[in-house]
Amino acid sequence: MVLGILFFSGTLLLVLQTTLLNYLPEWFGRPNLSFLFIVFLGTYLDLYKGAVLALLFGLIMDIFSGVFLGLHPVIYLGLFFLLQFISKHLAIKESIHQIPLVALSYLFTASSIFIFTSILTPESRLYWAWGNEILQVLILSVICIPFFNFFHWLATIFDSTKADNHYRRQKTGNRYRIQQ
Amino acid sequence: MRKKNKRARQIRIFLFFGLLLALFIILIVSTVGSKEFNAPHKLALEVIGTAQYYMTRISGGVKNSWQNYTALIDVREENVRLREELRKHKAINNEYREAVAINVRLAKLLEMKETIQAPTLTAEIIGVDPSQWFKTVIINRGSSDGIKDGMPAVTSEGVVGQVTNTSPHFAKILLATDPNSALDGLIQETRVRGVVKGGGAGFHMEYVLKNNEVAKGDRIVTSGIGDIFPKGIPIGTVAKVEKAGRGMFQEIEIEPAADFSQLEHLIIVMKKDPLAK
Repeated sequence: MVLGILFFSGTLLLVLQTTLLNYLPEWFGRPNLSFLFIVFLGTYLDLYKGAVLALLFGLIMDIFSGVFLGLHPVIYLGLFFLLQFISKHLAIKESIHQIPLVALSYLFTASSIFIFTSILTPESRLYWAWGNEILQVLILSVICIPFFNFFHWLATIFDSTKADNHYRRQKTGNRYRIQQ
Repeated sequence: MRKKNKRARQIRIFLFFGLLLALFIILIVSTVGSKEFNAPHKLALEVIGTAQYYMTRISGGVKNSWQNYTALIDVREENVRLREELRKHKAINNEYREAVAINVRLAKLLEMKETIQAPTLTAEIIGVDPSQWFKTVIINRGSSDGIKDGMPAVTSEGVVGQVTNTSPHFAKILLATDPNSALDGLIQETRVRGVVKGGGAGFHMEYVLKNNEVAKGDRIVTSGIGDIFPKGIPIGTVAKVEKAGRGMFQEIEIEPAADFSQLEHLIIVMKKDPLAK
């Protein structure tokens, strides 16, 4: 159930991003909600469910962005596995750590697209615009916490057991204490 | 017994996810680097394209209402300016009528044949590429309207791009500003040819030798070579010429003729064999 809801929400975000958000002026910046959604999947869902959704969104993103098929599934899956790995070793579920996580993940994704596209079409000149990238990082950093909280709340409605456990886990005393 | 069952269950789970993983890997490997849409891609474009279409309708309505409201604020000033512009344009129009009359007479004198224009189709943009790296748009026309891969897309101002993928009711256009786009251009004044490549916000022209005369403000049009774009469609004007660097060629930056930030409708040139070389 929760997978279906997340899939529907992610698709809705993509539709919003390619239509309504496009009316925002360029200097204001257009938040990359689909990317933020992948980061949410990487930190919230378990390995199998999350990987399936990340792959699906990568395949869908290929249709609406760029010219090379397969580029987004590979990068989104790479990002997802990286986030899964990090979330097992660091306390990234805490809000304050999510801002640098989102910023670094965005730079990882952008540089991966840049490198892969440069390899696939060496004759094309891609332009790394620091201004646009920094603006996007700033926007994502500002909206990531309310965004994650909203989707976490949405997922808890349809997956209450997991949500309870999630909160219970967060509120334990010393998380670094070795379990007996 | 319990342990045996548990082990069998674990093996089943491993087999299931192993099979799933193998399918995913096959799917990814078969699509990486390809540019052609397969059936699932087309189906997804149909479903999400429909959602984009309705969302564009709704957001367009909201945008129009807002624009109408803001337009009322300074409508008086606008009215005075428009009347003045109308007067000027009437005068210009009279001059044009005269020019057209002369043109018709000269054409008859030279026994020029009428050029047959390829049929065209108007399309509305319903979705824009969310990435900062690529410049593509989705339009509300597809293969059921006769759209084929490779067909050129233009506006009244100039070149916009080319159809790259289609589904029955929607199509994807690679804009000429995308770094992966390249088209054959011609400097109208000097007839010097070069390859116009997308540069994100504008274009740049490549493979123009340093001994060719190119000046700021020169107009660039399509050359018609390759038989993809009709000859003479405006691409843009030269914004900057750089000859100082190393190599044989000049660095030419072009200001696009079409305003890519305001694109709403496109004209698709319905060529019979759009991918002809």
